Amino acid sequence: MAGSWRAAGLWVFCGRISAALRPLVVSRALCSGGTAGSSGLTQCNFHKTAEKVNALHHCRLLHTSGPLKGLEEFFDDPKNWGESTVKSGAPWTIQQLRAKSSEDLHKLWYVLLKEKNMLLTLEQESKRQRLAMPSPERMEKVDQSMSRLDDVIQEREVALRLLQTGQEKDRPGDWRRNCFGQTFWYKFHEWSVPWYVNRNHRSKQFFALPYVNRYLRLRLEKHLRKRARQQTLEAQKQRDLKRRFPHLAERSQP
Amino acid sequence: MAKEILRYPLHQLGNPQLRIFRPNFLMTLVRPGVPQPEDIVQFRVSMQMTKFDVKNYLQKIYNVPVAAVRTRIQYGKNNKRNHKNQRIKVPDYKVAYVQLAQGHTFQFPDLFPEKDKILEPGSFEEIQNKFMEDENQRQREDPRRGGVPGWFGL
Repeated sequence: MAGSWRAAGLWVFCGRISAALRPLVVSRALCSGGTAGSSGLTQCNFHKTAEKVNALHHCRLLHTSGPLKGLEEFFDDPKNWGESTVKSGAPWTIQQLRAKSSEDLHKLWYVLLKEKNMLLTLEQESKRQRLAMPSPERMEKVDQSMSRLDDVIQEREVALRLLQTGQEKDRPGDWRRNCFGQTFWYKFHEWSVPWYVNRNHRSKQFFALPYVNRYLRLRLEKHLRKRARQQTLEAQKQRDLKRRFPHLAERSQP
Repeated sequence: MAKEILRYPLHQLGNPQLRIFRPNFLMTLVRPGVPQPEDIVQFRVSMQMTKFDVKNYLQKIYNVPVAAVRTRIQYGKNNKRNHKNQRIKVPDYKVAYVQLAQGHTFQFPDLFPEKDKILEPGSFEEIQNKFMEDENQRQREDPRRGGVPGWFGL
């Protein structure tokens, strides 16, 4: 069941971050091997065990990343401990990610995942000690990078599926209406029995009778009024801000 | 996989193994509130992770030797109130106690060590410190009086 989760060969990714990925990785010198001078970690033999596991891998690609550090990877570089700000680069843009190969993207995913875990650990510890987290904007950057990376991979999957099967979605579906006339995306799925035997499915309605038309109209009206009110409020707020801070308004004009 | 929450499909005999290429599981290493044995590491993990997931995650991604994993779900309190006096639920989270393989120990490091601050000349803090020092100097008693109170004397 759940035990069958095997990220076989995934560890290969983490260890081998190619030099091409390095310059934009957020905030952390990935390849600063063995800089844990003032580390609070006790002497543990993670490197030795790493060697044992490494004996398994057979593909030899060029890699320049440092040795795996085990649990130390949950913490920032010891040089940054106790600093109020930590310098970090920009998040990955979608154009940069589109230029990468799929393999590189998957490697980068693990780099970002580790970075995020590190930041979560730091955040929790700072909450616990009631201190400000150093440079919390890193979290947002990592999130952005991860979601963009995901978008790029989705794009590629869709393109491949379109070529192979002519379908855009991985799971076919249909726009349907429920008994209140609301339209929603219905995902198709496999059934164990034919539809005419399935009483549960037959009891469902995917149509609406004409008496709901009035309420559809009212719902649309409500939606439009809400949107219009929000837009007016926003415009009013902008106008008010411009009136109160004219020097900023001038600067933001061009 | 990455955005949606994973639902493990029912495994029928002969089905292929479930493989995850971009896991969105997150693990937070936390300082244990109750003192733990040296080889136990405490994590807050994503709710949908199982013990096997935690073990595989640490072994494959972080290359940490794991002996055993124990998990529990921490109930978040429901007695918090907002400004409308409605109950606000603090989210639950899963806690994993990971026992490292024999001979491995771990101690949570001090992530916020005291560092000697170098204040910029002319900054507010620097001026404040100087002022406080000056005031203290003024308040201090004359050492030549030998601790005799101020009201005693000519």
